[in-house]
Amino acid sequence: MSKIINTRPHGNGNTRLAFSKDGSRVFTGGADSLVRIWDVGQGADNEPDTAAEAEGPITWIEAAEDCWLSSSEDSEVRRYAKDSTSYEAPITSAAGVSVRCIAIDPQARKVAVASDELFVKVVDMEGITTPQKLEGYTSAIRALTWHPSGNLLTTCTQDGKIVIWDVSQSPAKREKVIEGIIPVVKDESSNEFQYDCSAVWHTSGEHFYVASKGHEIVTISRSNWSRVPGTFTDKNAVGAITALTLSPNGVYLLSASKSTVFAWSTQTKRVIASQAGTPGSIITQLAFCPKRNLVAWTDNEGGFTRWAEPISNTFPDPIKPGIGTKASASTTITRKPDTDLFGEDVLGKDDVMDDEANMAALDEDDDMLDIDKDWIVDDMDGALHDNEPVGGAGRSNAGFVKEMVSITKAQPPFQPGSTPFQNKKRYLAYNMLGVIEAIDQDVHQIINVVFFNQSSRSSFHFTDLFKNDLGYLGDCGAVFACPPEVNHPARVLFKPYSSAAQEWTYPLRPSTKVLGIAAGGLAPNSYNTNSTVDLQGYGNVVVATSEHDLTFLTGSGRERRILALPGDFVTMVAAPEWVFVVYRPGSTTIDGSQNLYYIVINFEDFSVRQRDVLPVPKGQTLKWVGLTEEGLPAMYDSTGYLSVLSKVRIPHHAAWVRISDTNLLERRQGKDETYWPVGISDSIFMCLILKGNQEYPGFPRPLIQELSITFPFRNADEREEKLERNLLYTQTLLDGLDDDLTSEAVQTREQALDKELILLIQGACKNGNVPRAIELVKLLHNVPSYTAAGQVADFYKLWVLKEKVEALKELREEEEDRLVVARNKRRRWLKPDKPLRMLASDGGANGGRRFDPLGDTRPPPPVERPSMNRVTRPVVEKTRFTSAAPPTQQQQASSSASTWGDDSLLTDSPPPVEKRKRDDLEEWPMSDSMPPPKTTKGNNPFARKAQEPNRNPFARSVEKQHSLHKSESFFDKVESAESGGNGTLSSKKRVPGFKGKEKAPDKKDAPKQTTLLNMMPKKPKAKPQATAADSQTDVETQATDDVAMSDLTLREDSQAETIPDSWEETQLVEEETQEA
Amino acid sequence: MALPVPLRDSVTPHELEMIASQQLIEIVPLIAMERTAFISGAYGPLRPPSKAKIPLWMAVNLKLKKKCHIIPPQWLSVEHLQDRLAQEVANPDAFSDLPFRFTEISKVLLDVASDDLENPDQIRTLLKDLREARQAKSREGLRHLDHSELGLTGLTSMEINEIRPFFVQSMSLLTKLARNTEATT
Repeated sequence: MSKIINTRPHGNGNTRLAFSKDGSRVFTGGADSLVRIWDVGQGADNEPDTAAEAEGPITWIEAAEDCWLSSSEDSEVRRYAKDSTSYEAPITSAAGVSVRCIAIDPQARKVAVASDELFVKVVDMEGITTPQKLEGYTSAIRALTWHPSGNLLTTCTQDGKIVIWDVSQSPAKREKVIEGIIPVVKDESSNEFQYDCSAVWHTSGEHFYVASKGHEIVTISRSNWSRVPGTFTDKNAVGAITALTLSPNGVYLLSASKSTVFAWSTQTKRVIASQAGTPGSIITQLAFCPKRNLVAWTDNEGGFTRWAEPISNTFPDPIKPGIGTKASASTTITRKPDTDLFGEDVLGKDDVMDDEANMAALDEDDDMLDIDKDWIVDDMDGALHDNEPVGGAGRSNAGFVKEMVSITKAQPPFQPGSTPFQNKKRYLAYNMLGVIEAIDQDVHQIINVVFFNQSSRSSFHFTDLFKNDLGYLGDCGAVFACPPEVNHPARVLFKPYSSAAQEWTYPLRPSTKVLGIAAGGLAPNSYNTNSTVDLQGYGNVVVATSEHDLTFLTGSGRERRILALPGDFVTMVAAPEWVFVVYRPGSTTIDGSQNLYYIVINFEDFSVRQRDVLPVPKGQTLKWVGLTEEGLPAMYDSTGYLSVLSKVRIPHHAAWVRISDTNLLERRQGKDETYWPVGISDSIFMCLILKGNQEYPGFPRPLIQELSITFPFRNADEREEKLERNLLYTQTLLDGLDDDLTSEAVQTREQALDKELILLIQGACKNGNVPRAIELVKLLHNVPSYTAAGQVADFYKLWVLKEKVEALKELREEEEDRLVVARNKRRRWLKPDKPLRMLASDGGANGGRRFDPLGDTRPPPPVERPSMNRVTRPVVEKTRFTSAAPPTQQQQASSSASTWGDDSLLTDSPPPVEKRKRDDLEEWPMSDSMPPPKTTKGNNPFARKAQEPNRNPFARSVEKQHSLHKSESFFDKVESAESGGNGTLSSKKRVPGFKGKEKAPDKKDAPKQTTLLNMMPKKPKAKPQATAADSQTDVETQATDDVAMSDLTLREDSQAETIPDSWEETQLVEEETQEA
Repeated sequence: MALPVPLRDSVTPHELEMIASQQLIEIVPLIAMERTAFISGAYGPLRPPSKAKIPLWMAVNLKLKKKCHIIPPQWLSVEHLQDRLAQEVANPDAFSDLPFRFTEISKVLLDVASDDLENPDQIRTLLKDLREARQAKSREGLRHLDHSELGLTGLTSMEINEIRPFFVQSMSLLTKLARNTEATT
């Protein structure tokens, strides 16, 4: 790990530093006029030596092989003996103005001195009396650097020019003036003036790097003094670059922006490491130790910081001269500066491979100028696999350097949502369900499982003695896996959330490692109340092992199948139905692609649903995979694209839809932040926002931010984007349906979409864009929307459009229902299996959903007040539609059942029943002169008129009345008592009810007629002829009644149907009685 | 109620707090709940880990049961309050722009959900400073009271309530005086 030693040896103000050539000492000088000499080998508590000769702030320090120099604002340049504080001699002095910069040439023969004067003095170290003056400046010089050959001197001036001198000849020739690259700094007291703006020559001498005024690191080619395309960019490295330096072999460039130091690879131009210095300070000079992997810098507050091992071991060595150092040097000037600096022995130590690769590179150098990039990448890799003796010889012979090695570092396997340890804490998993946190306690760790939704699952924690390093939070249980140790093999631990289930472990063979785990399953609604939880099982667990396989286990730990995985496992995520696995079937490619593939395997039959390439761009890595709320796989890569795999259930139909580009986010503008995905729900991207160069979220758990997803369309307007986004969503929902035609969610979505579409059509009409309008009309979902579209067209007087809308509407009406079409399509594609569903019994009788009286946000239903309803309720119209009425009522009941449920049924239907009862009780006794016998109840006079004669419901209404009217026998008795032997039982009762209206006086006729009507419905109006009514018919009716009664219990639901009949009947009876 | 006389004319701070509790606030629920109808309206659905906007009273209730985390409003942060305090001090004539019921809401949040706030102690101090600065101003403002109007832009509900007893009485007195002078002239 990188180590930082931070001290503050100097007072506030500009501070400079330099390493001695052997790398054993560091010299720092500050505004306090002191130069301190540090032993690099010693730690922070080492007391440095001090050279206190200067009388003004130290402005620059340089070291040569046998001495070191310091310049000061007291206009003196002093020479000291090697690594000591003993002052040898003054080198030169400026005419009373401060010296700004000094530079010793690589041969240590000359020193260039820049002061506030308008020239540079080049002083020969041997004969200091005859300085050479380089004149012609229009402003003072800020920084000086030598080309590695020592022939060129680069000077950076205050007015933003880079002046390059060729000092190999005498007098020195001004080679080139480059303007407009470096910033103009007039004010000497500003912070900016303190920046180290030196042009840093690459060790090859091919080009130099300089910090531009655009806050970039610019590469200037030596051959034509023009900018080399390509800049060093990184999203974290922003702001002015205050210092630059190069590693001794030229493989790394270090830059400082404000108080942070970034290490770049000069080949790939990417940041490989960074380190924050003292916050708030400005780093004014950076230096790389010539002999060690050590970087030091000073800042404007007198601070001096050493960063040990800035370049981690996984990268090529920053010191050893590799191909990068020398290859290009051969094409330029004559010398190889690095050999000079580091001595032969270093080179000697280089392994054979290096030399050979080196030769190969040299060969190619002649061919192309831009070979730079190619061999550079190659070099990286050569260094990466430094220890492998991979056929170096064959390589250089064949000259196929590029093809020989894969050059992209393979992405290691990862668990989505996991982080490395930070302060002994890490996340093992972080998804929409919750978080698994691991806290390291040296000998063991504590694992905390916290759910976001604490009502459905309860959080738990346990002490983990095996140091599990993988975790996955599934719907049915959490899985953990630990690496193999000496005393135990790797094992997988499954902890189901349900209290009824037991946890189990699954040990692997010794030395087999677990690379990834996932658990999929259907989450039950609740773990507390329901006993059917167990029926659904505990899902499936998938384990990816280092034996290149995927092991499938059930939620109870039974092994089901071991599938061989073609390639290296990378990551996976499990849904209830399938597991989505990312793997690499081979190696990474030479052009930087991670070469990732994905495969979707169904749990039930292990069929492969999808298999294709994962769309991760070249040079990028996969950052996250997860599931959307609708259950589609989603991925996020290092470019910031968020993609979703649509149509995942249908084999070969899946496609990656790029749903968001986080670089385009509004909030991202002008900010330095990255996003760490957690999940996607509907059109919201749930993520954690990481500031700066933070790579992982820390503790305490940050708030999940919700970013709205917008398709990265290039010129669609907001509304169109929304439309398409919602279309994708509805499509997904439709795909999830099986035999159902549509669902509530789909319907509401479609309606909202139609509304949007109408608005868009209106927009199109306004612009007179008829083709667009027609296109949009075709997208409408519901037929009524066409009418609305037609009205829009009408409004804009686009008659043509209106006609077309009408035509489209007719077409749509003629066509098969689109929902049916969609279903058939689904059936065709997905014949064999149904989507995984909740067990029907789960939610109780109500189709899986429990009624929540608080959950209904609709306006309350009108209160039933039977006493007040009485008059208004029996509308005559209803009677007319009796046949139609029952179904509608049922429909209402069932549609409201989802929310209102049983209660609504209770409140809706019972009142009529009650009412009915009351009617029975109130009315019939009223007409007690002729109490109603049971038979009459069946013959609803109205129904008879309105309905087809052979309609079945008749019987039902009869039974109904039976049920309500228990005291049949009572009435019978009363009746028989009253009427004596006068005619049939039924005949009497009917009188007031039906006949009373027309023939109130002849009571004797009427009853018979009704009876007749009842019995012979084919002649409903044939009352006069009914005189022949006989008791036989009555007997028959009674018989049917009895049968019906026995059916009663079975046909509870017919209640609703019967009610209207009975209702009207009673009402009419009442009315008629009154009339009578 | 056994309230001091001057307070009997006006609403008590508790009542104001109750009124402020109707305002919506963002929470991260820890329980799931469908959209639910309350007398004041329908709120929800609560689906962790998505945020939801619910009235403050409900948030407080849930918070006390440890069933949600309250996301403090954007103005209840150290930076924002510091900024406002600076404005308050720099500008002796105007009140800085703060939500009308910021006192009540911040009080409730500090009481109930101080663990959801960053630097609750500092926020408390800042609020106190703000209150003192503003109180001085509102007192100063009362000097300009005349019989017809008193303009104090940016005064918040609690501050209005605070000056109400004095203000009402003195205004009526001033009105009387003014009428008298008119009558005499």
